[in-house]
Amino acid sequence: MLKVAIVGCGKIADAHASEIQRIKGCEIVAACDREPLMARQLCERFPVRRYFSDLTELLSEARPDVVHITTPPDSHFGIAKRCLESGSHVYLEKPFTLYEDEARRLIALADEKGLKITAGHDDQFGHAARRMRRLIQTGFLGGRPVHMESHYCYELGRSGYAGALLGDKRHWVRRLPGKLLQNIISHGIARIAEHLTGESPQVIAYGFTSPYLKSMGEGEIIDELRVIIAEKEGATAYFTFSSQMRPSLHQFRIFGPKNGLALDHDQETVITLRGTRFPSYAERFVPPVVFAKQYLGNLITNGRTFLARDFHMKSGMKYLIESFYRSITDGTPVPIPYREILLTARIMDLIFGQLDVHQRQARAQDRMGGYIAAGH
Amino acid sequence: MRYDFAGMNLIREPQVAEVDRKVEDTKRDAFIISADDPILITGAAGFIGSRLVTRLLEFGFRNVRCFARSSRTRTAVASLSGRHDNGGRVQVVKGNLLSKEDCADAAKDVAVIFHLAAGRGEKSFPDAFMNSVVTTRNLLEASLRHGCLRRFVNVSSFAVYANQHKPRQRLLDESCPVEEHPELRGDAYTFAKVKQDDIVTEYGRRFGIPHVIVRPGYVYGPGNVAITGRVGIGTFGIFLHLGGSNTIPFTYVDNCADAIALAGIKPGIEGEVFNVVDDDLPSSRQFLRLYKQNARRFKSVYVPHLVSYALCYLWERYSTWSERQLPPVFNRSRWHVDWKKTRYTNEKLKTQLGWVPQVSTAEGLRRYFEACRDQGSYA
Repeated sequence: MLKVAIVGCGKIADAHASEIQRIKGCEIVAACDREPLMARQLCERFPVRRYFSDLTELLSEARPDVVHITTPPDSHFGIAKRCLESGSHVYLEKPFTLYEDEARRLIALADEKGLKITAGHDDQFGHAARRMRRLIQTGFLGGRPVHMESHYCYELGRSGYAGALLGDKRHWVRRLPGKLLQNIISHGIARIAEHLTGESPQVIAYGFTSPYLKSMGEGEIIDELRVIIAEKEGATAYFTFSSQMRPSLHQFRIFGPKNGLALDHDQETVITLRGTRFPSYAERFVPPVVFAKQYLGNLITNGRTFLARDFHMKSGMKYLIESFYRSITDGTPVPIPYREILLTARIMDLIFGQLDVHQRQARAQDRMGGYIAAGH
Repeated sequence: MRYDFAGMNLIREPQVAEVDRKVEDTKRDAFIISADDPILITGAAGFIGSRLVTRLLEFGFRNVRCFARSSRTRTAVASLSGRHDNGGRVQVVKGNLLSKEDCADAAKDVAVIFHLAAGRGEKSFPDAFMNSVVTTRNLLEASLRHGCLRRFVNVSSFAVYANQHKPRQRLLDESCPVEEHPELRGDAYTFAKVKQDDIVTEYGRRFGIPHVIVRPGYVYGPGNVAITGRVGIGTFGIFLHLGGSNTIPFTYVDNCADAIALAGIKPGIEGEVFNVVDDDLPSSRQFLRLYKQNARRFKSVYVPHLVSYALCYLWERYSTWSERQLPPVFNRSRWHVDWKKTRYTNEKLKTQLGWVPQVSTAEGLRRYFEACRDQGSYA
């Protein structure tokens, strides 16, 4: 029986506890939060044996095999390091760390200790995402990816989180180098990183504060981001994060030399995009029928999955956790290659580095009463 | 205004003269605090909180301190300060109830705390818990640190009652049992509110913090135009009417603010719980008919109690069987609270606090429907 502990008992910890209790062969032995009341409330709602408010006590007394770290991102590195040093495998919620350097050091430490570590990029393991991965592995694209488009949006107005963030100038999200973006975009960036082959892609980022946030007196948080990612002689990608565009998409499109694929995370659909055209007017009549048939197929698949009781909102997280636990117990490869975790962290470093420069330039320009062309 | 239940109409009557709300000095002497003692209100910019601030100023209290988090809230609260010319001072304290230091600053020298802020509308259990229970603990700790608190008024909710195994059959009163397993209700707000009441009671028992718990029914009025789930639920363009002939425990926002104010200043009620509901409560069916006549017409389908109970039971079973593929938002526990036929009383409120509803249900509904017409929505 794998002994599991959860450190950090906020909102996402609930998802972890829910999914872990659905997995056979493991048990949540302890929960930990600096605020004991938060740790206690988790134990009252889930079958968790004990709770702690001190990490050292948790590690020494509960001696977990795996620790799920679900604390704010600025604490990820320190907590993960202590867990690895004490001999626990680590599932680290996204964003993995604040900087690539921290990610590299954690992975090196895990390797040195003979332990496993993974990042909470569970969106990549939903039913549709796995179907897409299988199609790519069977060569559907017709070669290496040529271009990708990743949309990862966030509706600020619909979340209590946004209210807490906007109303609190000391909110932990504001302490992150990339602020709101850092806490959210890694899902969308990781989708691209999975299919990049090089180690040092070129990144061009453009970000700004939406008029909506500005109207609320918010000038610190960037909630609109456009990114171009390009590899030398490799794939290119566009990444879009928006709090304002509608629909609020969570989509990923990937195009190869022959065909393309479109994944919709919210609808759990995968649509194949044929590279060849039908002759003459047939191109205007046949493809809509083909797409309709594909959507119907997705509907049936989703329906079957629902009836089989495997269509939970966080089914990707369950799959990722199970795969990670299997890598620990059976020695299978980790579900997310370390290279991919590092590449995601590197791209995010490059994005936030550029946004930081742009923001400083904009502030300087504002002070001078002028207009800045680059970046804003 | 007179509420004609038989005819399901709001009948216009000569306007009742406004009750003179000035409290004579002799009456105020009977309160546990003097006019210049500092009073702290959390959630002061909210639906009930803003009325409470006004009411306390009308009572003649001159040192009202409002705890506000965001700049928008601060602005809303600050606008209240200029309303009264009784020499009353409304001080706005900036801070976050999750910060122990902010709570300590706000609670300094305070004689009464009215704690209205809560994690309303949160779907996440941890968020609701954090914004209701951790914040309450911080305020209680802060009051302990200063040692001058004479009363902590905890504003709770009817949601905490189990509405089962009641000593007086269908009557829900303050002696009725609270939900033992709020985590099974499938509602983050209920879980947080039960735990919030628990921690207030625990601090009262362990540290002797004088406290009163106020549990309002469904608070309505301009500013909250939604139809309570006790009447029914709008889903996929259809309104499912679940309340039927059930009485709806309404309390008009001004009446509720009155009750909360009295709970903070009346002597001899330490440790007591007060339910707040108005007089002449309409049934769900009566309310819905009036709503359609006076606010907006829409289609509704009546779901008999037996059917709603069966559906809740099936949903609950499916949720368990499917390992919460559908979360247990409908379950028997919720049915007992929201849709079981229940009677309500405000007897304790009237006898121990001397509370009298200043706004009749007929007048309250008239104002509410007017606000609904302005906003044009039922949910």
